[in-house]
Amino acid sequence: MGLEIKLAPDILFYLGGFPVTNTFFWSLVLSLFLIGLTFFIRKNLKLVPGRLQNIAELLLESGYSFVKSIAGTEKKTRRIFPLVFTMFLFILVANLATYIPGQSAITLARQEGPVSVFRAVMSDYSMVFVMTVITFLITQIVAIMVHGPFGYLGKFINFKNPLQFFLGLMDLIGELAKVISLSFRLFGNIFAGEVLGAVMLFLAPFFIPLPFMFLGLLTAVVQAFVFAVLTLVFITMASEIEENEITESASI
Amino acid sequence: MELFNALGLNVKILLAQLINFAVLVFVLWRFGYKPVLKFLDDRREKIEKGVEDARRASEKLEEMEQREAELVKAAKREAAKILEEAKKQGETNRQKIVDKAKEEIGQIINQEKAKMEVEKGETLKEIKKEVGDLVILSLKKVLEEKMTDKKDEELIKKIVKSLK
Repeated sequence: MGLEIKLAPDILFYLGGFPVTNTFFWSLVLSLFLIGLTFFIRKNLKLVPGRLQNIAELLLESGYSFVKSIAGTEKKTRRIFPLVFTMFLFILVANLATYIPGQSAITLARQEGPVSVFRAVMSDYSMVFVMTVITFLITQIVAIMVHGPFGYLGKFINFKNPLQFFLGLMDLIGELAKVISLSFRLFGNIFAGEVLGAVMLFLAPFFIPLPFMFLGLLTAVVQAFVFAVLTLVFITMASEIEENEITESASI
Repeated sequence: MELFNALGLNVKILLAQLINFAVLVFVLWRFGYKPVLKFLDDRREKIEKGVEDARRASEKLEEMEQREAELVKAAKREAAKILEEAKKQGETNRQKIVDKAKEEIGQIINQEKAKMEVEKGETLKEIKKEVGDLVILSLKKVLEEKMTDKKDEELIKKIVKSLK
């Protein structure tokens, strides 16, 4: 048995020209799981909470107050919270789902060989990319709404003096770098974790991979948190008007 | 494009993932976060109201207790006053009754005395009359038998003397 490491996800089957990859399949399953769980909790909401409701309440309440502590106002929190919290939940569940034992053994026979049905969703760049694009677009839209289209553009391109021009260019690069760092942080961590796990399992199947699995568990939680919090911070930053900007517009 | 292929990015899959994620966000927000957070808010409100109610109730209870104590104190004071008054009244009443009784008794005694005096007078009168009759009777007898002139004269003299 050879060790095969692929960046791209494997295609399970085609659905009328649509290639269903194992990560896409998995993300669908996880989404359905989350939706099902949501409806289950909603249906069983009681004044005196049970265990599951307790966990859900704890997560939601602490998550909400955390988002509020960063976003500042109640209005902003109400708008940002659904996206950020869903990102956190989805990434967390997707990362933790790889620890369900035995799932990597389930494969589908294809002409080019066996293809595993399950693969960590975040070890495929497409889902990460989609979420990053959402973050990026919302950040830009919020910034334009707050600063106005020309005001926002003026942040990047201005000819007041060479220093300002240079800083504007740096801001532009920084904006793009945010996207890349945000997405590749998550993707890289999970992918590396998967590869490391596979290599360890290949080299020494018993006991030795355990510490790496614990480390991977930590990464799974931390990366979910980091991605969601960074999204929150980017959007919050875009929604805030800086001090010097106010004085600038006042002086004009 | 080369990088996209290496990473396995496919526009169709990206779109599908986007829709998938959008639906997930919507459903979780609409049917998960919103009701649960509202539920939590409601419960918090309810608990706050309960705590507030309890606080108010205990305050009221304290107030009532205080008022009750005051009432009891006032009632005691009133009762003591009434008792005192009643005692005083009783004392005066007693005194009055005793005085009246004394007076009445005095009156009755006086009346009895007067009656007795009258009765005594009457009895004496009767006795005198009786004695007089008897004397006259006996005198008659004595005079009839042993009256002599000498004796008669002597007796008349004696009587006149005593009458003087």
